Amino acid sequence: MSDEVKAAVLSLVGSDGLVWERLKSGSKGYYLLLMVTGILVAAAAVAGVQAMVVGHEHFYNTTREVPWGILISTYVFFVVTSTGLCLVSSIGHVFGNENFMPIAKRSVFLSIATILSGFFIIAFEIKIPWRMAIYNVISPNLTSNIWWMGTLYGVYLMFMLAEYGFLLLDKHRYAVICGFSGAVAGIAAHSNLGAVFGLLMGREFWHGPYMPIYFIASAMMTGTSVIILFHFLAYKVNKEEMGPPMKHALAITAKLGVLLICTILFFTIWKMVSGIAGQPAGKYEAVMALVKGPFAINFWLFEIGMGMVFPLILFAGSKGKNLSMMFLGAASMIIGIFVMRYDLVVVGQAVPVLHELGVNEYKHLLSYSPSLYEGIITIGGFAMTAFLFLIGEKLFAGHKMSQH
Amino acid sequence: MKYLKSIIAVVIFLPMLQAGQAVAAENSAHGGDIIYTKPLQSVTFSHKSHVEETGLSCDLCHAGLFEMQALKIQGKSNFTMAALAKGEYCGACHNGTMAFASTTRCASCHSGVKGGRLAQNHE
Amino acid sequence: MKPTNIDLAALANEGVENVAMKDRRHFLKMGLAITGVFAGGTLFSAVSVANKVFASPAEFADKYPYKPHYSMIIHQDRCIDCERCVAACAETNHVPHEGYRTRILQRDVPDAIGQKREFIPVLCNQCNLPQCTRVCPTKATYKNTSNGIVMMDTSKCIGCLTCQEACPYNARYFNEERQAVDKCNFCFDTRLAKGEKLTACANACPANCRVFGDLSDPTSEAYRTVHQIERAVWVLRPEAGTKPNIFYTKG
Repeated sequence: MSDEVKAAVLSLVGSDGLVWERLKSGSKGYYLLLMVTGILVAAAAVAGVQAMVVGHEHFYNTTREVPWGILISTYVFFVVTSTGLCLVSSIGHVFGNENFMPIAKRSVFLSIATILSGFFIIAFEIKIPWRMAIYNVISPNLTSNIWWMGTLYGVYLMFMLAEYGFLLLDKHRYAVICGFSGAVAGIAAHSNLGAVFGLLMGREFWHGPYMPIYFIASAMMTGTSVIILFHFLAYKVNKEEMGPPMKHALAITAKLGVLLICTILFFTIWKMVSGIAGQPAGKYEAVMALVKGPFAINFWLFEIGMGMVFPLILFAGSKGKNLSMMFLGAASMIIGIFVMRYDLVVVGQAVPVLHELGVNEYKHLLSYSPSLYEGIITIGGFAMTAFLFLIGEKLFAGHKMSQH
Repeated sequence: MKYLKSIIAVVIFLPMLQAGQAVAAENSAHGGDIIYTKPLQSVTFSHKSHVEETGLSCDLCHAGLFEMQALKIQGKSNFTMAALAKGEYCGACHNGTMAFASTTRCASCHSGVKGGRLAQNHE
Repeated sequence: MKPTNIDLAALANEGVENVAMKDRRHFLKMGLAITGVFAGGTLFSAVSVANKVFASPAEFADKYPYKPHYSMIIHQDRCIDCERCVAACAETNHVPHEGYRTRILQRDVPDAIGQKREFIPVLCNQCNLPQCTRVCPTKATYKNTSNGIVMMDTSKCIGCLTCQEACPYNARYFNEERQAVDKCNFCFDTRLAKGEKLTACANACPANCRVFGDLSDPTSEAYRTVHQIERAVWVLRPEAGTKPNIFYTKG
């Protein structure tokens, strides 16, 4: 076993190994993209470190009343995406549905890329990240959803890395075990992230069992769109034609996407209706901010339009055959979902906690808009996923699945 | 640097504020609002509500109780709630029979730091 | 209005001794939650419950989970927003300009008869079931097991600000200087631990609006103020289920 691994590693990274050869095979456009995304990641890192050193309050627009801004929502977006990729891909190579098999390897890789992007973002959001590294271990609070979420995502990342490693080495039995464990850890971690919001009793818009459930369903939805988007792009990057199994896999993924969009639409409808019927205190104000308040454009245009209705039409209209339509639907959906996460985080804080007191200070909805630095770091997160995707395509030669 | 800034702010703004208050008091009919800031911040006396709305005559207060010069009374050391409760100053009327007692409805007259700030911003 | 001391023992006993042990334990659990149940969303009389459950005031006081069980009773109508409390707090606890541990809110009711505004002091509610301590991943904020004060161990704070999200009272802020979330701790380190009897805010208040004391001591003013059947006592955001230890009353 270990000799095998050594030989494999040598043949990959040796001076004239496979790795360099593959990396050198890209087009000019590929290297340009690689450079641009690399620079964006570096810019985000510089901005993040500066904010950390000088003091976050000088660079971020978060406040005492709205402590969580776009960096949290972007982190949520990335871990939602990662979990979704893991779950959707596991349908194939963990649970044995052959239809999903061709997308497994790239999806697992992307789930690693997106969770790393998420960690990249959160490192600049948390004020004192190095204390987290120490005290999460020596002073754990088992009632804290944040603790569980962080820990389980750590475990999840380990499993996903191991899974991808075993997939590379064609050790499918181990890959399946790791994939299954990763999926379990992912669901546990992700529902805990939902619970971070859902178990806050003072925040009416978030409070309740809805959040953890919704998070898992919306992760799956996000997973389908990201799989379609990146598989479409990958074949452009590699200048290859999709074979029939891959086309079939994407068609099935789009079908699953339709089902999940409907699920999330259903969830959203009842979330909104339950926030309006009877005008529940705190929740009603937040829901109305989405329906016809300052977040109405975000909600109707981005969440409902671009996030769900438009992709639903395109996915259904493509009949699983028109790849361009599916790509467009997936891209639109990802933008919509990003705004969904933003609204989820920001609207949940928009109603002041002491609003019901009727005091002058808390009469109005609180506002928040991202600062330049927060914007740079957010873009850096996306650039990181793109960068890792591009590297991955060459490094792992299009994530081809060997037959087994 | 910080100290310098605050010293400049105090030097420039304080006379402005005091001047502003006096001007506003003179300009508005029946003396306008008087904002007492001593012994604590802030108490708003409204000439409007006492003269125009309640219909009291000037000499009800300005013949012995309060001098015509606004805020002069703040210099007295016994300008306190205890004195009011004994029937001095505002307490001459605010005794529970003529008007609500000075031991009740605190925030009717006390407009607080916020009230003082608001009055300053209006000038 | 002067607080009246009601002799709980002198009131008619509804026969606790006849309640089966199991039922009684059940009642006692309610008793433990007394500080929150107290207001329970509506105006609530401690005495009525206490009388049903406890044989004597001393036993009742014993049911407060902490000793001393620090609490603050705010006589809302006495607040005149002089903000001496805010200043004293900032000075005592080195609270920076951009933050606050306690604050005075203003409620305007233009169509009210007579007084048309009131001031409402707010601070950390030192909840019996604090949400902030539950959500903290590193136990950087915790409930002191002897006096019930919600405290910060600044060296463990990672700055995730989940506690700020969890607090239904907006009582927490991030203190850049300390590199940790900061909050009211009833001046524990700055005054109580040094032998002072009052918090800086209660000490500075010229109107005795903030009555600070030990709820587990039946002779304390705090205890006597709250345990009156005829006095309306309430808490902020009772529906958040945090069982706060800051009580509000008037008169």
